[in-house]
Order: sequence, then structure tokens, then C-alpha cells
Amino acid sequence: MLELLQGPLLISLLAAMVRIATPLLFSAMGELVTQRAGIWNIAVEGTMLIGAIVAYMVASTTGSPWLALAIAILACAASSLIMSFVTIVLKAEQFVAGLALNLLASGVTLFWFQAYIGGREAPTFIGFDQVPIPYLSDIPILGPVLFSQRLLTYVSFLVPILVWFFLYRTKYGLEVRCVGENPKALDVKGLHVGLRQCLAIMFGSMMSGFGGAFLMLGYSDKFVPDLIAGRGWLVVVAIIAGNWMPFRIVGAIFIFAFLEALGIHAQVVGIPVPHQLFLVLPYVASLVLLAGLRSRTHQPVALGIPYNRE
Amino acid sequence: MISFQRRSGSSLGWNVVCYSAAISGALLASAVLLRLSGGDPARAFTALIVGAFGSQGALLGSLAKATPLLLVGLGTVFAFRAKIWNIGQEGQVFAGAMAAYWVSFWIAPLPGWLAVCTLALAGMAGGGVLGLLAGALKTRFGTSEIISTVMLNYVVMYLLAYLLDGGPWMATGVTVSYHQSPPIDPSLEWPILLAVGAGKLHVGFLFALAASAFAAVLLDKTSLGYEIRAFGSNPTALTFRGTNVRRLLLTVMLMSGALAGLAGAGELFGVSHRLRAETLLGIGSSGIVVAMVGGLRPSGVMIAALFFGALESGTIYMRLKSGTPAGLVSAMEGLVLLFFLSAAVATRLQIVRREVHA
Repeated sequence: MLELLQGPLLISLLAAMVRIATPLLFSAMGELVTQRAGIWNIAVEGTMLIGAIVAYMVASTTGSPWLALAIAILACAASSLIMSFVTIVLKAEQFVAGLALNLLASGVTLFWFQAYIGGREAPTFIGFDQVPIPYLSDIPILGPVLFSQRLLTYVSFLVPILVWFFLYRTKYGLEVRCVGENPKALDVKGLHVGLRQCLAIMFGSMMSGFGGAFLMLGYSDKFVPDLIAGRGWLVVVAIIAGNWMPFRIVGAIFIFAFLEALGIHAQVVGIPVPHQLFLVLPYVASLVLLAGLRSRTHQPVALGIPYNRE
Repeated sequence: MISFQRRSGSSLGWNVVCYSAAISGALLASAVLLRLSGGDPARAFTALIVGAFGSQGALLGSLAKATPLLLVGLGTVFAFRAKIWNIGQEGQVFAGAMAAYWVSFWIAPLPGWLAVCTLALAGMAGGGVLGLLAGALKTRFGTSEIISTVMLNYVVMYLLAYLLDGGPWMATGVTVSYHQSPPIDPSLEWPILLAVGAGKLHVGFLFALAASAFAAVLLDKTSLGYEIRAFGSNPTALTFRGTNVRRLLLTVMLMSGALAGLAGAGELFGVSHRLRAETLLGIGSSGIVVAMVGGLRPSGVMIAALFFGALESGTIYMRLKSGTPAGLVSAMEGLVLLFFLSAAVATRLQIVRREVHA
């Protein structure tokens, strides 16, 4: 285990951590906005999967990863309308709607994938490449870890700051938080609660799709049905463990990413422990985190409660 | 002016209208999905129906596929009626099969029926313990069962992956690793009740029927059933009544997991006869769909299990005859669930026509 903490291997470990964490940052920050608006949308896993499969089909057909990213995000915006309809218009149980959407997404992606490849070898594509930032990438340790990543990774560093700014420093952010805490107050002022929730769900889904598409386009060359493998659920865990505060959520995500990176490297170094033990670490850690960090002080009061006038 | 209003009672006619519309909507959406991907919906659905009901053997195959879905669905009903969101059925099915497989090493000398019952109990214990673990995390640490059950799914699946790939349960003597266990002792295979052609129905079907009767009686006729329903609508009132809600939550999680575990044991000893992840994958999530579509009532769950069992059983024939990917069935499950959710809301509404005074 100790050899993991030496020079080049440590740098590789930390770089892997950043690589694994960043797609999740997009999804987590989107889901945070949705949840702050009082919508308990557990369909992150399914939405990421839709983002990934759409990105895969577009990228392997057209060869353009940027177009693939854009269409994947649009597809997820469209799929968010299902969630909005069921939870805001019909006011069905939000958890159940999310569960249904997850099941639908895993079914539809499997079907699309099988129909798309239709018995041939799954086509591959060329995704996003690394773009080292000049000068910054030459800094020892920090350079290779932070500044020799993909373009979208650098963007992802900014996302939590932007979302924090939106939520706590803008009028619209205040309204979103108000929808999650006290929707009646907003309604009394004549502001439309459902519209804001609908937009929050759409933003969350687009960001989840962004994360899924980035995972697909940045780190892989062909789709596999278990590509997301529970990462959408880890995002939901990170939000609870991070007590609905942007930067704590980032911390939780980096913990999961570090454990996953550790697993990959332990396999490379050849530590004589079954590799599944390392693969399971993030999920075990999430249980420990949730049991340990029990503070729910920033959980939106109206989270998961459909808003009814009257 | 036409508007919707909350309905006070429920009307059978309106329910039939809503749910028929849901089924039609889901089938239509599936057809659109098929058409969009270049398939021929008419041919695919015909093949699906022939594959599910076309012969006695096909019918038995559908019943066999319905068996684990019914068990998992009933387990889900207990949990969801209490608004305890156990969605770890997938892992609980795995845990049941794994526990029964482990116990099977020790019980070879037991006579037939005793062995079947022991394996069934072992499966229930495996699934039940996993459910109980999630329940304990909730009562002890307040961890949301939604999250913990999903996380435990992954933990159990990786444990099985280890046991079958490099671990002690890996089949030996094969050059290519299939990530499966060696076949179980043939004397431990569960008896087949009926067999026509490729369609075989094992004794687990009787367990599922018995479990349905048990669930119906328990929910409607016992005080535990009353407490489960009350826990879902008003847990605070239940505390004032003197019910130990922690113990109730643990009991529900135990029962819910045990039924899923029984489904896993049945699949292993009644159908596949080897422990493999692929044969168990998806049973848990389909079982949740079955429970929801069945309206969280044992009788409804039986119908829904038969419907989805037939879908799954018909898929193999559909893929052969029309080349439609098997994934269509998972997509249809999701669509049916979404349409039923919407229909369930619609059944509680009524259309009213109001005079508008100028």
C-alpha cells in the first residue's frame, strides 16, 4: 500500500481522482439546484445514462464530440419534462416518479444500444482529448494533477462556484431556495412555484446529462450498458452527506473519486487483494459517510413535498 | 368550463377507463420506440404474444418467469404500503441465492422435501438479513433506506463477482471463465411440477402462491397489517397508539427482503442450477415495477406478475422471430410504470363541468 504514496504513482493517483470526480461535479451541482427547489429527484442515475447513450450515438455517427455533448444535454432537458409533468402537474410521489424514470432510462438505453448496434461490433468514436494548460501544467505535482486534464475538467472546477453564486447571490437563486423552504411565501407574492420547480428540474437534468455525456466522451470510446454503474446514486449520497451545501458536496465527491482512483491503482500495482474489494469501496464509504454525517440542517424543508395551493 | 376535482370515493368504471388508457398508452409508446429504431411493431408484438401464450409450454414458461416477480413484488408491497422505500430488491435476490447456495454444501443427506424447505428458508434468511441491515441503518443512524438499499445492492453484487471470479465459488476445470459456480448437486434441484417442451414450472411457484395468500391475509386481517398501513399514512399516530415503530420498520424490512431472497433461491435451485449474476440480474427491479403496477395489493401484484412474466418469457421468441432487441422489455416495463403512475393519480380525480356566469 505504501508504494502508492510515492512520487509518480501518487501524481497518477491524484490525477485519476480529479479525472473521476469532475463529471460527477456537473451532475451533483445540477441535482443540488433541483433539490434546493424542493424536488427530490432520484433519477440522476437514469438521466446520466440517457446523456451517455445519446452522446455515444451522436459521437459515433457524426464524429463530433461537441455536437454529441450538445444533443445529449438537449435530450436530458426533454426527458426532464416527464419528471416535471408527473411531479408538478400530477403531484405524484417524487421518489416513485424518479424510480420509474430510472427504470425507464435503463430499459430505453439498453434497447437503443441493442437496436443501434444491431448485431454488429459496437462502433467506437474519438472523444475529448487532454488539453494541458501552457505553463500551469509545468508546475510540479499540481501541473499534472490539475492542469493536464480535459477542457471540460477545467470548466467543472468553475461549476460549483457558479452554482454557489447563483444560489446565494442572485435573486433567482433566492427564489429557488425559497421554493424549497417555503413555497407558499413565493406563491403569496404572485410568483409561480411550479414554473420555478420545472426549470430547476430541467437544469438539474441537463447537468446530469452533461455529467453522463462527459463520462462517455471523455474517458471511453464505446458505450457499455453499465457505464454509469451507480455514480448517479453516489451523487445523491454526496448531496445528503454534504448537507445541501455546494462546497461540502464537492468534498464528498472527491472522497468517492479518491477511493475509486485508489482501487484502479491498487490493481495496477498488483496488491494481492481481490480487485472487487477496491471497486466496492465508494459504496461502502457512502454508507459510512451517511451514518457518520447526520447533520441535515440545510435540507430544504419542503424537499419531496408536492406543493398544493389551498 | 371543464375542470378536474379530487374525487371523494372511487368509481370502478372510471378506474377501468384510466388503467385501460394507461396500458394502451404504454403499448403505443413502446410501438413508437420500436418504429423509431426501425423495427416492425406489429411483427414484434405478435411474436411476443405467441412466445408468451402460444402453446402450453409457452404458458408454463410465462408462469415460471412470473414466479420470482410475484415474490419480489409481494415483498415490495409490504415495504411500500408502509412508505418504507426499500429498493434493494436486486441485492436481496442475490443475497437469497447466495445464502441458499452456501447452505446447499451442508444439507446433501437431507431427504427431498426437507432439503427444499431448508434451501427456501436459507434464501429467505439471506435476503431478510440484507433488508434488516438497511432497516438497522435507518433506525440506528437515520440513513435513508432509499440510499442504503441501493448501496447495499452494489456491495452484494461485487461480493458475488468476487466469489465467482477468483473466489472460492468459481467453477473450476473450465478454460474460459464464465463467472459462474459449478452446477449444484442434482439431488438438490427443486422438483418440477409441470413440464411441457421447454416450459418448466418448479415448486417455487407454489411458494409464490402461498406467499400471495399470506400477504393478502396479513395486510387486511391482522394487526401487523393494520400497523403497516398506518405507518405509511401516519407514523406519529402509531407511536401514540403504543406501537414500537422501530421494531415495525425492522419487521417490514425483514419480510420484504426475505421474499426477495426466496425468489433468488428459487431461480437458483429451480431454474438455472448454477449461481450466476446474469440469471438473477433485473428480477429485483422488475419486481418493484410489478408491485407498483399491481397497485400495492397482493391480488393486483399477481396479475401484474403474470403480465410481466409473460413479457419476459415472450422476449426470447420475439428476438428469434423478429430480431427485436431483448432490451425492449425493460423499456416497456419503465413505460408501463410511468403510465400507471399517471393513471393512479387520474383515478383520484373527476371531471366536473361548471357553469360559468358572465
